Order: sequence, then structure tokens, then C-alpha cells
Amino acid sequence: MLDKEEAQDRGEEFWYGGKVTRRRLVGWSAASAGVLGATMLVPAPWRAAFGQAKPYRIGTLQPLSGAAAAGGKTALVGTQMAVDRINKSGGINGRPVELIVADYESKPDVGRRKAEKLVVEDKIDVHEGGFLSNVCLACMPVFEEYKIVNMIGVCLDTTITTSKCSRYTFRPFDYAPAQAVAFTPFLVGKMGKKWHIAYADYAWGQSTRDAYAEEIKKAGGQVVGTTGIPLGTADMTPFLSKITGDFDGLFGIFFGKDGVTVGNQAFDLGLTRRYKWAGDGAIAESTNLPALGRKIEGFVGINRYIPVLDAPLNTAAHKKFFEEAVARLKQIDPSGPLPDRYVQSNFEAMNALKMGMEKSGFRGREDTAKLIEALEGLEMKEGDDFPQGDKTLRKDDHQAFLREFIFDIKDGKHRIVEVVPKEKAMFAPACKFAST
Amino acid sequence: MSARRVVVYWTAFSVILALLIVAPLVLPEFWRRFLTEILIWGLLAMSSDILIGYAGMVSFGHSAFFGLGMYGAAAALLLVKPPDLWLAILYGLIAAAGVAAFVAYFATRLRDIYFAITTLIFSQIFYVIIFTWTEVTGGENGLTFGRPALAIPGLFSVPFTSETLHWFVLAVVTASYLALRRITQSPFGMVLQSIRENEARTRAIGYPIERYKIAAVMLSGLFAGLAGVLYAIQNRFAAPDFVFFLISGEVVIFNVIGGIGTLVGPIVGAAFFLLLREGFSRFFTEYYLIPVGLIFIAMVIFMPQGLLGFMRRWLNQ
Repeated sequence: MLDKEEAQDRGEEFWYGGKVTRRRLVGWSAASAGVLGATMLVPAPWRAAFGQAKPYRIGTLQPLSGAAAAGGKTALVGTQMAVDRINKSGGINGRPVELIVADYESKPDVGRRKAEKLVVEDKIDVHEGGFLSNVCLACMPVFEEYKIVNMIGVCLDTTITTSKCSRYTFRPFDYAPAQAVAFTPFLVGKMGKKWHIAYADYAWGQSTRDAYAEEIKKAGGQVVGTTGIPLGTADMTPFLSKITGDFDGLFGIFFGKDGVTVGNQAFDLGLTRRYKWAGDGAIAESTNLPALGRKIEGFVGINRYIPVLDAPLNTAAHKKFFEEAVARLKQIDPSGPLPDRYVQSNFEAMNALKMGMEKSGFRGREDTAKLIEALEGLEMKEGDDFPQGDKTLRKDDHQAFLREFIFDIKDGKHRIVEVVPKEKAMFAPACKFAST
Repeated sequence: MSARRVVVYWTAFSVILALLIVAPLVLPEFWRRFLTEILIWGLLAMSSDILIGYAGMVSFGHSAFFGLGMYGAAAALLLVKPPDLWLAILYGLIAAAGVAAFVAYFATRLRDIYFAITTLIFSQIFYVIIFTWTEVTGGENGLTFGRPALAIPGLFSVPFTSETLHWFVLAVVTASYLALRRITQSPFGMVLQSIRENEARTRAIGYPIERYKIAAVMLSGLFAGLAGVLYAIQNRFAAPDFVFFLISGEVVIFNVIGGIGTLVGPIVGAAFFLLLREGFSRFFTEYYLIPVGLIFIAMVIFMPQGLLGFMRRWLNQ
């Protein structure tokens, strides 16, 4: 056995034995610089088709690493699909789109810095993207400061288009209050009057809970209790086992792996057999279905997008979108997941930008005011650009309204139960834009 | 320290300070802001060096002090109209000091890994409270607010520009560094180092080491809170992510990269790490953390004494 002194000497010899010489350091630095330089010489893919036409620089912030990486990568598929399609069909106003992707590691501080980098260094003309609501909210002041249109791709938080709304930010898809308005008549009218709500106990879950509680009450129903479960709880049994009593249905507000956890554990505790089982469509997102297996059978949810080709989603436009999305998703996930609402909303958000840019004759940042004017009240018609269906981007709060799909899970697949037209998913605006 | 070393030290200090003063006038806008942010993270790293480098107590609770400083500033900026810079600093420092006192009281009864784990648990408790108490803290979304003006009551009040904000942050960080340098060279600092080297012997000599440790944690927490205030002022938002223990982990990494027990080292470590991350992210998009991780591992193996220690050895070769 070595004594302490000898061990220390050996350690010092190993650590400080001159392994890092100046020559080696210079060599490594030169090699690294060479690799980085080589990557910079690769020409942009749109160069061949558009020649010298100045591209629109569109930035997209996505969480490609960190906790939300899986969702971020899926969301980016939608954005890239739209950009590739735009560039293949002649660009926007005859100019190609150069997409600048920034990964924010699922962290708001990095997101904020990357937003500044996109705006100040990359000099983007507009931004499309954003996945995590807290990062969206942290970055909104940056786009506001530099007067750049920010088309949100995924962020769901209600306040983005209500109390914290911004003249520069648009959300071309739904939010919790609209879903609650659309879903509640079905819940109360066809499933039951008395509900217990279990929700992810953080900002989104809490605001969604409040929206449903209010709408259920308005529709003549009753919320007999609520159970908040901390985000990311692996064992929800202690919370779920306390849910008992006289009520008709259990309503879940969860997403991601929490959706899988609640689906599995509520089934194991017999809750989904004892009560009607409904909730936010994010619980039964197509990416969650394999992990939920048969335990999610009979679940009734609402979503703006579900990956089925049944009416009214049996259009040629949706089939085209669906097939391309499946192929692209297979490239990032060999298990071949079906497209979800993240792919759909990013795809359509980019197309909404394109539409606004064409309508306003947008040339660059100097035309931001014109672009905002064009986007306010924008009517989007179902077709190749908007395979999900028609939608309206409301002027008062920059919030879109669109049709919603009430579905259930049958034989492990989504099945459309009812389609709620966008007119029946409207919710009063609650936004006051700051004067600019 | 010999007279020659003193001259070399202050000359180097003045040159670096002068470069940092001039930097915002010559750097492009993004890098100007980035440099300011590096200074803020550097201050946070430097604050943890008091514990890690001088007292030998590895803390994973610095995110709590940093985050509470941020939320304290946010409270002042949201509640007081018009927003006041000095009140934001005061609120932030009070919040951070309160939390630091609470954590210090319990955590300093433990040593080594038990101290580290206790601080980590405290930071997670504060994280959960902030994350779920949406009505007050904004929950996951955090709080957004306006930036206060740079003002001295009765004298002047001007809105911050990126240059003036940089100089303000630089002044605070420099003053903090000089204060901490003085403290670590004082008898108090010597006792901390003595605790690090041999706690039992220090106690045997007659020093009330629990009190010293509590004071060290509070001092460290106070400067971490100050960094949180500066971050809130620069970025105009506070989020629970800053209270999460991963931030504490990054701070430990800054210390290891830069060189612990040097005060300047953690600032250098923060600059190196953040620049590395920013640089690689431009070429490797989502994969950039892989080379960053590999470089960190290589540094731990080949430069365990950190960048500052390595430079010292290299220059002496």
C-alpha cells in the first residue's frame, strides 16, 4: 500500500508532468480552427435556386438540448418543412428564406441571449418559433425592443396574448381559454355534470385549470375538487389515490411524460374505470401513445391537431403534410412517430408569416409596422399552407382562433368524436398593448 | 507579497480594468451585452469562491441566493413606481441575505458532502416554492419588469444604455472584488482558510468555527444576491430556473475551470465557459454541449488547478 506522501508525488507527476505543452496547445487550437473554418465554407442550400437574391433571414429559437429537447426537435421539423416548401415554390416575394436556428438548451437565460444574438448579430428580419412559455415570455421584450415580429410556434401560456401581450408577438394557434370554451359543452352535456380536475401544478396547469373551472361552472356543471401534482412527479400515486368521492368525471391537465405518468397511474388505481376520463389533448399526444398502450383507451380529449386522415382532415393538403411530416420525423426518431400539434403549429406559423410578408410587401425590419398591420385580422384558409383548417388571427390580442377536435382513443389511435368550429371556440380578448 | 509582485499585480489589474472600461466602446452590440453578462456570472462565481476556495465548503445552494436576489429586485421594480435602482439592490440584498442566514444556520452544522447536499436541498425547496406559487412569483413563467433608470436622487436620472449598464456592472463587480480580496486577506479570511485546512485544529485553537462558517455563507450569499440583482436589471426578468440547482452546478464548474481560491479565477472560468459555449453553439447547434463537455473533462484532467493556475505554471516554465 502506498503511503500518503508517495501517492501525492505520483499524483503530481501525473497531473503536472508537462503533458500540455505550448506546442500541443497551439496544434490543437489550429486543428479546431480548421474544422470550424471548413464548416463555414459550405454554401447555403438555397443559393443554387435563387442566385444573388437577398434572402429573408428568419430566426427560430428552439430547445434542441436540455429538458425539452425532444419536443423542440419535433417543433423544428414543422418549421423546416415550411421553409423548404417556401424555398421550393419561389420563396417569399421572390426572395429565399434563410432559416437561422438557435438552440436555447431549454433555459430562459440562454434563450434570452440567443434571441439577442439572432436580433443583433444575425440581423434576422422576423422570428418564428419558441417552445417553452417561460422562454417565450423572457424573449418577448427583446423582439419588442428591436421591433421585430415574433410568430410563436408552440408556447401555450395564456398570458402571452392576455396580460403580457405584445404588439410584436402573434400566436397563430389556440390557447387554454379557447379550448375550454370549445370542450366544456361536450364535457358537461355528454359526459357528466360533476368534475374533479387533476393538473400539473405550475403556471400552465393552473391557468388551464382556472379556465376549465370557469367554463364548467358557466355551462351548469360543477368542479367538486382539484388536485395539483408537481411537474415531473414520477410517482403520482400519493396524489391520485386521494381522488375519491361523488363526481362523474376526472379531467387531466398534463403534457409530455407527465401525461404518460398520469395516464398509466390513474388506470392502475382504477380511476379511469370508476370515472369518465377526459383532459387536455396533450396527455394523449401521438408521441405518448406507445408508452400509454391500452391504458389510455377511452380517454376523451381536445386538441387543435390530431394525426388522422378521417373527415374533415381527409383533405389532399393534410395528406401531403402528414406524409412529409412522418418521413421527416422518422429521420430524427427511427420509431417513426406521427406528427403532433408542435409540428403542425410551427409549420403553419411560418406560413402565416409568409402570408403576412407577401400581403404587406415586407422588405425587411423597416417594414415591421406594415407586417403587423397585415397580420392583424389575417384570415388563413384551409389548404397546403394551413392543413389544420381555417383560422383567424384576432387584431385585438394577436391570438388565433381555429377549429378544435374532440377525440377519443380507440384501439390505440385517435378517433374524431366531434369538430368544434372556430366560431364556437372564441374567447373575449384581454389584452392591452403598450403604446409604442 | 513582495514589492515587485505588488507592482505587477496592480499594473495588471489596472490594464484589465481599463480594457473592460473601453470594451463597450469598441465591441459590437451583442458582445457588449455578453461581456456585461459574463461579469455578472463572474460575480456569482466569485461569491461562491469564498466558500469553495477559502472555507473549503462546496455549496450547491448558490442558485437560491442568486435567484432570491433576482426576485427581491423584481419585487422592488414591480411594486415601487417609478422603478428605483437602489431600492432594487436593497430588496435583492435583503432577500438574498435572509435566505443565506436561513440556509447558513442549518447547513453549517454539517461538513463536506453533507453540507453540499443540504445546500442543494435548500435551493430545491426555494425552487419548488417559487415554481408553484404562481400568484406571487409568476410560477414557471417568472416575472418581467422594466429596467430602472441610473439615478442618484437629487443629482441625475438617466435611462441605462448598454454602455452605461456595462460600466455600472463593472463598477459593482470591481468594488465587490476589492472588498472580497480585502476580506479574504483579513484575519477573518485567514480563519476561513484555516478551517479549510484543518477544522479540528482551528476549533482547538479557540475559534468559534460555526460562527465563522455562518458569516462566510452569509457573505457569499450576499454577493451572489448582488449578482442576481444585476442580472435582473440587465435582462428585465426573473425566472425559477435561476433558483434551480443546475445554476449552482455551473457556478462550481466556473470555479473549477478558472481556479478555486483565487477570486479572479472564477470570473475567468465564467468567461471561458460562456464564450466556449457561445462559440461552439454557432457551429454545432444542439450538439455544441458535447465539445464543451469534452473540453471541460480535458481541463479537469490536464489543468486541475484551473486556467489561472495553468497560466501561472506556463509563464514560469
